Amino acid sequence: MKDASPVPAIAMRGLTKRFPARQRDPRAGHAAAAAEVVAVDHLTLDVASGERLGLLGPNGAGKTTTLLMLSTLLAPSDGTALVEGFDVRRDPQAVRRRIGALLAGDRAVYRRLTGRENLLYFADLYGLPRAEAAARAAALLDLVGLGERADDLVSRYSSGMRLRLALARTVLHNPSVLLLDEPTLGLDPDISVRMRAQIAGLRRERGTTILLTTHYMREAEELCDEIAFIKNGEIPARGTADALKRQIRIGDVIALRLDPASGDGLAELPGVLRCVFQDGRVECTVDSAEKRLAQILSWLHEQGVVVRDVDVHEPDLEEVFVELAK
Amino acid sequence: MSWRSEMGRVYAFAKRNLLMAARNVFFVFELAFWPTVGVLSIGLMTRFLDLGPEMTAFLLVGTMALSTVQVCQLDVSYALLFDVWSKSVKHQFLAPVEIRHMALGSWLVGIGRGLTVFGLQALLSWWAFDFDFFEPGVLALGAFLLGCFLTSAVVGLLVCALVLLFGTRAEVSAWATVNLVMVFCGIYYPVSILPEPVSTLAGAFPLTYVLDAFRSHYGFAPEFSHPLLMGFILSALYIGLAHWALAAAVTRCRRTGLLLKLSE
Ligand SMILES: Nc1ncnc2c1ncn2[C@@H]1O[C@H](COP(=O)(O)OP(=O)(O)O)[C@@H](O)[C@H]1O
Ligand SMILES: [Mg+2]
Repeated sequence: MKDASPVPAIAMRGLTKRFPARQRDPRAGHAAAAAEVVAVDHLTLDVASGERLGLLGPNGAGKTTTLLMLSTLLAPSDGTALVEGFDVRRDPQAVRRRIGALLAGDRAVYRRLTGRENLLYFADLYGLPRAEAAARAAALLDLVGLGERADDLVSRYSSGMRLRLALARTVLHNPSVLLLDEPTLGLDPDISVRMRAQIAGLRRERGTTILLTTHYMREAEELCDEIAFIKNGEIPARGTADALKRQIRIGDVIALRLDPASGDGLAELPGVLRCVFQDGRVECTVDSAEKRLAQILSWLHEQGVVVRDVDVHEPDLEEVFVELAK
Repeated sequence: MSWRSEMGRVYAFAKRNLLMAARNVFFVFELAFWPTVGVLSIGLMTRFLDLGPEMTAFLLVGTMALSTVQVCQLDVSYALLFDVWSKSVKHQFLAPVEIRHMALGSWLVGIGRGLTVFGLQALLSWWAFDFDFFEPGVLALGAFLLGCFLTSAVVGLLVCALVLLFGTRAEVSAWATVNLVMVFCGIYYPVSILPEPVSTLAGAFPLTYVLDAFRSHYGFAPEFSHPLLMGFILSALYIGLAHWALAAAVTRCRRTGLLLKLSE
């Protein structure tokens, strides 16, 4: 059920991770006085039960570190993180039973075991009853398209197949919270599409809470209800994709193909934030296309400029993201 | 946390160790080649030196203890090393398992492999050197083997702790640590001939007592009183300490992120 539960699936309060400056790094030399790295800086963020939240941010923003702390693989330096009410520090085993984590670079399953053996092994680690484990492993192998190769050694799998096996392992024990760190990073585009479809499918089935990191906007828009930007370990903005676009107010874009191809004077019109000229088109960013389109067209008409083509679109998240990352 | 799911986890580690072992040619060497070479070369040396049956027994007991400890200890070490080698250390620590599951599961496989090695060596030494390992009786033999396996557990847990403290550099300890055992526990000589303070130090190793107890059945006066009891008490103590060290190493890894470095 997706009833809004009072207890958030994930609750972070002032969550902080500091890594000591690496003294023994020879490159650092005597400059090892270099300050410690604050990978995540007093992060406070909730994910409601059943929600899909995308954590979006540039490299080094602290996305991976955040997921690692939630998955109990890294101990926080400060602050708290609760998963379904269980503290990652005080009750790590309860947290582990509830989460499925697919971490970046997580293509590693045992190469010397078959796909099925890998899943059965992990099923045992999570204490699934034997009969249920076998049925679930078989069903999941089919689901991720490995049914035919289930009994081949993983060493004969392609990297895409390994990732799909890792995804199957991640959801094997029916976790109620999924932590996915860049699930399609480095995959071929066609495999990425399949991977996303699989994640979306898994979620539809059972209403799992998902916290997903990515730096692909499309992935976030496709898989998530809401998006939180993370930068320097802080969250400058959060909301639905639409709300964010509005909130950031980087406006709508009106693209015009003009004859003669010059948009001089357009940028001075009221409500026009900026104009760029590219590929023979003028792209005007305006505060609101609804309000300004008619005004712009009539002004151009007055100037004797012929409008050959008009295209109005919202900014994509990519632009929002660039804006925020500044 | 039911008894069933406890055993399920232990079984998982045991089965993984078994499957991984069965699919690696190198393990044939661990199980057959080195033990055979070991017992034959020491046995032949006793012939060359013209040693009597007592001395031959002394050396063969030492050799077989060493081989048995080594092969069983490797399994406990592999509990972590398999993950280090397949870069999947983090998955173990993502799952709701405890050190005891990992250690016990792999130790059980180690016991199986240790018994195989022991059986092979016992057969060889009986066939080639007329040495009867069953002479002291099943009980004494059982206590001897248990003592060996307990030492393996200690060494294996310590190897795991070292790998988690120092990273893959410490991998070599899986093969090196057993040499300490060889020097200090009196594998090829009675510890009384060691110079002080090494001789006293030998008294800190449980295997020293286990060997002492077993050799007493071949006519060697025991150097210690209640050697078996001492051996088991020390083993239990060290297993507790090694477990604590490994748990501390895991905690440290979670703080520093080494757990993840080992998975890259
Ligand atoms: N084990 C570590 N030791 C030292 N610094 C680290 C470690 N892991 C991450 N960092 C640093 O923490 C910051 C955040 O990293 P990360 O969480 O991986 O970011 P993201 O996943 O958003 O790219 C980076 O500056 C990174 O260099
Ligand atoms: Mg990352």
